[in-house]
Amino acid sequence: MASCQAPIPDGTLLDYWAHDLPDGVETDQVEEHLFACGDCSARLHGLAALGPGLATLVRQGRVSGSVSRALLNRMQREGIHIRLYSLAPGETVPCAVFPGDDLIVTVLRADFSAVEAVTLSVTGPEDTPFSQLDNVPVSGPDAEVLWATPAAVVRRLPSMRLQLTLASADATRAELGRYVLDHRAIGRASD
Amino acid sequence: MYRRFAPRVRLYGLRHLRNEDAARDLVQQVMLVTIEKLRGGSVRDVDQIASFVLGVSRTMVKDLKRLEWRRDKLREAFVFPDVVEATVGDATLDADRLEMCLARLAERERMVVLLTFYAERTAGEVGKELGVKEGNVRVIRHRAVERLRTCMTSGEVAN
Repeated sequence: MASCQAPIPDGTLLDYWAHDLPDGVETDQVEEHLFACGDCSARLHGLAALGPGLATLVRQGRVSGSVSRALLNRMQREGIHIRLYSLAPGETVPCAVFPGDDLIVTVLRADFSAVEAVTLSVTGPEDTPFSQLDNVPVSGPDAEVLWATPAAVVRRLPSMRLQLTLASADATRAELGRYVLDHRAIGRASD
Repeated sequence: MYRRFAPRVRLYGLRHLRNEDAARDLVQQVMLVTIEKLRGGSVRDVDQIASFVLGVSRTMVKDLKRLEWRRDKLREAFVFPDVVEATVGDATLDADRLEMCLARLAERERMVVLLTFYAERTAGEVGKELGVKEGNVRVIRHRAVERLRTCMTSGEVAN
């Protein structure tokens, strides 16, 4: 098969797949090219495979880091079992992972009106680093930070207190809130 | 001909219908019509086959969308629960590797990738969700996909 003489740029292919090309001539041209060109069609196939690949990970609760409300809603609609813990600054919340849980999501509230992005630092006993999320985007005073951890990971933890600290991601590093998750391991022989 | 065009029709169906089953049905219908037309001699010029297959795909997707619109109206009228089925696609990517590569992305890159490819949001919608300009979302998305691709093929994440 002859290689493509005028390949569709990666950005255009991405915009096409994400419905970000305006309907009309440009989309029509891309589709005509894709139907006639095996190379570009194969490239789009590689891009499209990300969707089912990510869906598989989500279904298995293997997504960690920050998530958004839209993502959370989508996961819940698809039957992912999500256990939510919601914390305001200064709060300590007891938490545990139960059979059937796929994902543990901690919702952190704070006054985000003066920041665009935050850093979340999570430490365990004796300040041992547990997790760090850098440059998490937040928008508006009603924003929240959602930290997702696979239930399978939390299940392996012993009972412990996790200290969470939110700070602005800009140069000031202003602290926005401290929170405590009082994790209780269920069904672990050693606890 | 089937081997050549069926994957392209499936991709077209996935892009427009966002449903693996519907995309597979589309492939069967489009290829059936195309083969019948070829046998009947309606399409003679080999160079025109791609355009013909695309034309049939477009018409059928329009019909399917109209049908789906009617179904939605019926669902609304009879208050059926809004069930969204997870895509059961050709998940050919190595899940372990994808998990590792996804974890290596920056927070906003990972969110943009998940919102785009899992939640099926446009750049404008992602921008509203994250408080980022649409143009920036496209830049982040492009970079993130590039980094994922590099990681998936070589195990390294480009900076």
